[in-house]
Amino acid sequence: MLAAILSRLLRMVVVMFGISVITFLIFFATPSSDPAARIAGKNAAQETIEAVRKDFGLDRPLYVQYGLMMKRLFITRDLTSFANRGQQIVPAVAAAAPATLSLVSGAAVLWMLGGILTGITAAAWRGRWPDKLLMGISMMAVAMPVFWVGEMVNLITQNRLHDTWAFSWVPALGYTPFSQDPGLWFRSMVFPWLTLAFLYIGLYGRMLRTGIIETYQEDFIRTARAKGLTGRKVLLKHATRSAIIPIVIMFGMDFGVLVGGAAVLTEVVFGINGVGRLTYQALKVLDLPMIMATVLYASFFVVVANAVVDLLCLLIDPRMRRA
Amino acid sequence: MGASPEQETALPPADPSAGEKVWSRRGPWRRVLQGLLGSPTAMISAALLVLIVIATLLAPVYAKHVAGTDPFRSGLSAKIKIDGKPVPVMQQSTEGLGLGVTPIGPTWGPQYMLGADGQGRDVAARLLYGGQNSLLIAGASTVLCLLIAAIVGIAAGYLGGAVDGVLSNLIDMIWAFPVYLLAISLSIVMIGKSYAFGPFEISSGSLIVPILIIGLVYVPYVARPIRGRVLALNQSEFVMAARGLGIRPGRILWRHILPNVSTTLIVFAPMLMALNIVTESSLSFLSVGVQPPNASWGTILQDGQTLLYSRPMVSLAPGLAIMVTVLLLNLFGDVLRDVLDPKSARGR
Amino acid sequence: MSEIRSIRARLKGRFLGGVAALAIGAAFPAMAQDDAHYGGTMKLLGVSSEGTLDPHINYTARYWPLFIYTHDGLMAFKKVGGPESADVVPDLAEAMPEVTNDGKTYTFKLRQGIKFSNGKDLTVDDVVASFQRIFKVSSPTSGSFYSGIVGADKCLAEAETCTLEGGVIGDAATNTITINLVAPDAEFLFKLAVPHAVIMPADTVMKDAGNQPIPGTGTYMFESYDPNASLIMVRNPHFKEWSKDAQPKGYPDRIEYTFGGTEEAAVNAILNGQADWMYEPVPSDRLAELSVSNPDQLRVSPLVAWWYAPLNVNIPPFDSLQARQAMNYAVDRDALVSVFGGPALASPVCTILPPDMPGHADRCDYTADPGEFWSAPDMEKAHALVEESGTKGQKVTVVADDTSTGRAVGTYLQTVLTELGYDATVQSISGDIQFTYIQNTNNNVQISVTQWYQDYPAASNFLNVLFGCDSFTPGSDSSVNMSGICDKGLDDRMKAAMALAGTDPEAALTEWGNIDYDMMKLAPAIPLFTPKDVDLISTRMGNYEFSSQFHWLVGNSWVQ
Repeated sequence: MLAAILSRLLRMVVVMFGISVITFLIFFATPSSDPAARIAGKNAAQETIEAVRKDFGLDRPLYVQYGLMMKRLFITRDLTSFANRGQQIVPAVAAAAPATLSLVSGAAVLWMLGGILTGITAAAWRGRWPDKLLMGISMMAVAMPVFWVGEMVNLITQNRLHDTWAFSWVPALGYTPFSQDPGLWFRSMVFPWLTLAFLYIGLYGRMLRTGIIETYQEDFIRTARAKGLTGRKVLLKHATRSAIIPIVIMFGMDFGVLVGGAAVLTEVVFGINGVGRLTYQALKVLDLPMIMATVLYASFFVVVANAVVDLLCLLIDPRMRRA
Repeated sequence: MGASPEQETALPPADPSAGEKVWSRRGPWRRVLQGLLGSPTAMISAALLVLIVIATLLAPVYAKHVAGTDPFRSGLSAKIKIDGKPVPVMQQSTEGLGLGVTPIGPTWGPQYMLGADGQGRDVAARLLYGGQNSLLIAGASTVLCLLIAAIVGIAAGYLGGAVDGVLSNLIDMIWAFPVYLLAISLSIVMIGKSYAFGPFEISSGSLIVPILIIGLVYVPYVARPIRGRVLALNQSEFVMAARGLGIRPGRILWRHILPNVSTTLIVFAPMLMALNIVTESSLSFLSVGVQPPNASWGTILQDGQTLLYSRPMVSLAPGLAIMVTVLLLNLFGDVLRDVLDPKSARGR
Repeated sequence: MSEIRSIRARLKGRFLGGVAALAIGAAFPAMAQDDAHYGGTMKLLGVSSEGTLDPHINYTARYWPLFIYTHDGLMAFKKVGGPESADVVPDLAEAMPEVTNDGKTYTFKLRQGIKFSNGKDLTVDDVVASFQRIFKVSSPTSGSFYSGIVGADKCLAEAETCTLEGGVIGDAATNTITINLVAPDAEFLFKLAVPHAVIMPADTVMKDAGNQPIPGTGTYMFESYDPNASLIMVRNPHFKEWSKDAQPKGYPDRIEYTFGGTEEAAVNAILNGQADWMYEPVPSDRLAELSVSNPDQLRVSPLVAWWYAPLNVNIPPFDSLQARQAMNYAVDRDALVSVFGGPALASPVCTILPPDMPGHADRCDYTADPGEFWSAPDMEKAHALVEESGTKGQKVTVVADDTSTGRAVGTYLQTVLTELGYDATVQSISGDIQFTYIQNTNNNVQISVTQWYQDYPAASNFLNVLFGCDSFTPGSDSSVNMSGICDKGLDDRMKAAMALAGTDPEAALTEWGNIDYDMMKLAPAIPLFTPKDVDLISTRMGNYEFSSQFHWLVGNSWVQ
């Protein structure tokens, strides 16, 4: 057990180190990535730019800059942004994290419930109209880009039908911390949750349906039915349990990467200032410290989520253990 | 179950009661073909897909002869005739304060059938041209992704040990990788330049770059479930027996592992196509991939974002095209999966 | 222009205007100041924040309109709408300065009784320290605006030990500040009126203050700033209005500027009454709808700005004069105007100086029938010139930014280039990155799409800054002369015109018009159009005033 945990930790360090180095290299390989002129300001004199360059340590060799950045990020935690001078990176990410966490967690609950329900229902009525309908909607969900869905939702709830009884409860776009006003937090998150979950309900529903149908053909199912177990019990207990593995694996990957900031489009469209939006803003202006921080933050969650999911899979299906 | 050829050809066809899928050696492809031909769903969806592909290939014909426009040129000062009167494509607002210019809406006629986009170009013509790029990019990247994911997933799951460790690390790194940073960096690096790799010339508008990027981005998403499947299969009686009997790993992979994994791949394929078309639109927005004035369904979608409130058709049209294509692929894929899986034939 | 003559003229005008205002005010007392409007919270929206809260460093159009209400300089641009917004009035100085020594010495008397927002009194020491600070914190304009101060050269070389000895001298006994320049500068008072020259307490940290508010003398002060969330301004408790023109008492009690979301979301929020104003331009697909449904919430104002396409005169194909002129003939500026939202929002331009810039003269050669204004493109001439230039068929990449207008303009230019026979592509990159990318000659940018807004109302701000030899530094990310043009003759004339402005302003303006015309003969860029500013405001907002210098005057509007 301990060995497994240690090996996972080692893996996390390797992955994060690898990504940080790659990010660093990509940044400096990009022409016009030098932030000195952007920091110094429009039409700055050459001396001013030089002064800024020295001030930010941009004239030191790459590995020194890398080392300093890592030190400032993890040890002294006083790393500052290139774009917003004086803005501390670590508190900024920490402040943005709850928004993303709220968004992704809520959506995750919705999409797991929705996906599982969809998958089981579609598999149970396989070939008949509920199956066709659900799979049709699922495919629609997968094919509609999240930024488009989000904008359409806003178009309806904030603009066209804003004053009707149906949507007048929808508050202004933006994130309110739960501790500040739970009611407002909930109301402002409903549509972001639904928008983000929509795509994944489609994906997971589809995967689960196929998985259940396949598992249904397995021997042990036939045995269970021969033994007299009714259809529903068989379905739920045996088939799903086996078919759910790929869903759990996908969930780990999706949740990890979304909490790390991949939900950027949803965040921007709904005005939720989370880690995703932070990453996106940093990319637009090539703000290396912020990019580095958010990339490492994301990779941390990806690795942790995958580790947790692997453990879960072992519990669900012991066949996955290595002999 | 030995290695001698005569014994192999004498093997009976796949025994459905064997409890796992094995591809029959006798005319498997013929069986598949018969299965597909026999299914109306598969036939209709395949026919419609072929129709879509043909339509996109006929884009130049449509643009020239039906619409009479060049969908790659800005049509900002173009005029078309409606009921004999010349109507500007970019319509100046005349009511109220008279602010804003709105592109013409769907005319449902040969010219500007679905309206014009923000630059006065014919959306319908661009949709057809865009289909070429989208289908090509999405198709190629899906195939690439599934191929790599299958190799990686199977290798990691089957071989285990250090190989699994390294590959799993790689998978995690790809999944957590800042793709948008790479895209922005590439778009800046490639401004005005082109690189030659053997027969391929990669310039900023080359489709090879987005195909490679999109193909890699979703590899972890497919590889990990496959790895999980393989891990479970490792414990199945047949694989353990085969291993015990010393059968070559290659054979085990081909006859036992791969068939079971193929259904997962087939289910992923249409979903990946959809995700890839959308990812392509984000990449094109970051200027990696389809460059203006070329079109793809994703870029038309992006163009439509700025016209959402006034001309929603510009984003609806590519959205519907993507949906229909993905739906058809799914229907076809369902039948294909059923056909490839002899066991499921019993359940119908 | 001569300071003394124009100062007297302006003073006379103001005096008469003041008498008139008093008369009117006396006749209609209710119009003068309605106390009920003071108060309330004003809500502003912006998609993102834009940098530091340090007025000496921040050089963005987003924050300058805020800094003018939280801090004051010796001079200020008049905080009124209309053409008078281009006038400078004394702010922390009691009156216009005494200019002596052939225009090289300015003597200001500092106003008494002004306090910073932290309660400290304003003294001459603060003024001297603030001018030193401009160099110590490496302000972007320390080189371009303030290098004319005596001692500035030492400060630019060694910022940390900056004393500006002999340049800015404060006399506490007489409460005067004396500023000595190396050479007369007709634009100096303008330069004192921009946020980079505001006065802060002498003990302000001598490096970029970042997110920490700096105490100021303005009507508002910054309460908090989180670049990822919001910026809050509240009333400065120690503020007492001393000049309505320079620093009026702001109407709202509190200003909340929230960052995030999209432009569409901001429009919806304003329409729903959840916000009062948005910084970003109204998305073009809402304009037509809003023109009809909410015209009274829209405000359109002229800007002294232009969209243009710099042509790199040092690398092919635009090292050929004919190729550059061909592009100027070929671009259909009316088409570009429709991309921006139509003739109500933009006008085609043919000259470098925007129409509202003093010195602008209506002359247009690069059109179908040359005359005063642009009318239509002349494709025949363009084709002929391209043939003549021998550059046909060459590869050209247009570099635009990633806003929808930027992309549209870039794509249009690519269409034109293709039509002229070039092998053209267009690439768009994120705005901030694009701006430095197109300046660096190492990137070999042939043609790009960009804009320029005035820093203050002087022709040199466009002609000298964008096309002067001093602004061209090869291999640097800061080389605003993106065309790379350096014409000695025109450069000398520009310097002469700047000097002439001190003695004969009218003649200088005429000369600027001529320089503009002669520069365009060399066609270092393609003037595209001059935009107008469109603001969407809430129904509850009143007294919207637009300054040509700082755009919408935040504190001059009320919300109740």
